[in-house]
Amino acid sequence: MALNRKKFIDLFIGNASNAILHKILEKAVEDEIIRKYYDKEFLNSFELAKKYREKINPISSNLPEYSEIKERIMKKVNNELKIRISKGYKNIDLNLVESATDGILSQLRVS
Amino acid sequence: MVALTGKISKGTLMDQVYIPKDRPMGFEIGMPVVVKPLTEEEEVKPIHCNIEKLEPVKVIIVQKIFSELNFADNIIITGSFLESGFQFNDIDILLIYNKKIDFRKIEQNFNKLFGLNFHVIALDYNTLLKGLETDPLYQAMLSRYISKKRLIFKYKNKIDYKILDLHLLKSKQLMDNFDYLAGNLKYGMARNMIAIFLFLNNKKISNEAIDSAIKKVLKEEPINIKENVIINKSIFLQEYKKLYKDLFKIILKGVKNGTQ
Repeated sequence: MALNRKKFIDLFIGNASNAILHKILEKAVEDEIIRKYYDKEFLNSFELAKKYREKINPISSNLPEYSEIKERIMKKVNNELKIRISKGYKNIDLNLVESATDGILSQLRVS
Repeated sequence: MVALTGKISKGTLMDQVYIPKDRPMGFEIGMPVVVKPLTEEEEVKPIHCNIEKLEPVKVIIVQKIFSELNFADNIIITGSFLESGFQFNDIDILLIYNKKIDFRKIEQNFNKLFGLNFHVIALDYNTLLKGLETDPLYQAMLSRYISKKRLIFKYKNKIDYKILDLHLLKSKQLMDNFDYLAGNLKYGMARNMIAIFLFLNNKKISNEAIDSAIKKVLKEEPINIKENVIINKSIFLQEYKKLYKDLFKIILKGVKNGTQ
């Protein structure tokens, strides 16, 4: 049971991080049509994160590991973004990470 | 079944349909009836692209899908549903439509109607073309399809590295969560990464080309990945990580230098 919980939290963190990363990176895409198209990609990762969240108890109230989950997601997203910035990727706003993380965690009843 | 026809006429608070007093059984006062637009049912001859044979029951399903979505500009059915047999996970539908639509609602309705899973992507024709120009998986998806109307695609590959970066991200989870992921998810991620690899090398992208490259580059049979029975996990992961790293490097270099 403990292993399952850890597994689902890891999968949740992976997909939530991907969704946030998508949200931030798609803002760096100039083409309007392509940006609209990538909204759907965000939805896919978000739906997967939601699916894994539904397997972690308590389902309908906040998770006790909230701070740890938030910290791990932010670390993952920041690392990915910093790699890109160091390679010359422009228009990436690191200030969006915390608010985007809070938004997703609140939507998925983690916090 | 007896049917009556009428015209909608304008009322004060509500509009109405008048039917004759002298009418067949089944139309008594208080009986529930269905009112639906009377349009000529056009005979649909689906366009098959790279499909040799489709089981009769699938043909019936395709016709029913086309008739349920007759408001759309075009309907494209693609994915594993078109493979021989009944091993498909869901039915992939690309709905070409210029207006905003709740595709999740269509998925839910179809799920109830057919008892099958559906994956609907609703988009307009321009967005589809943009997808084809920049998205290797769209090219794979549209290498085999059934559509309601004939499709003419005129596009040139456009390598937008920022887009490819987003695509590649979908394959990252396999390295982070290998032991937890189901076979179909692993296969989807490998397929996505290989499609990017073929796209960057200006190679033809089709389901067959992807499977053949999975076998060659990742040194594993696609069927084994799907069934989550990877024979040599360490070799597969090693090749997967190597290709991911190489592609990521090319993509980030491309982002720096701009779109091709």
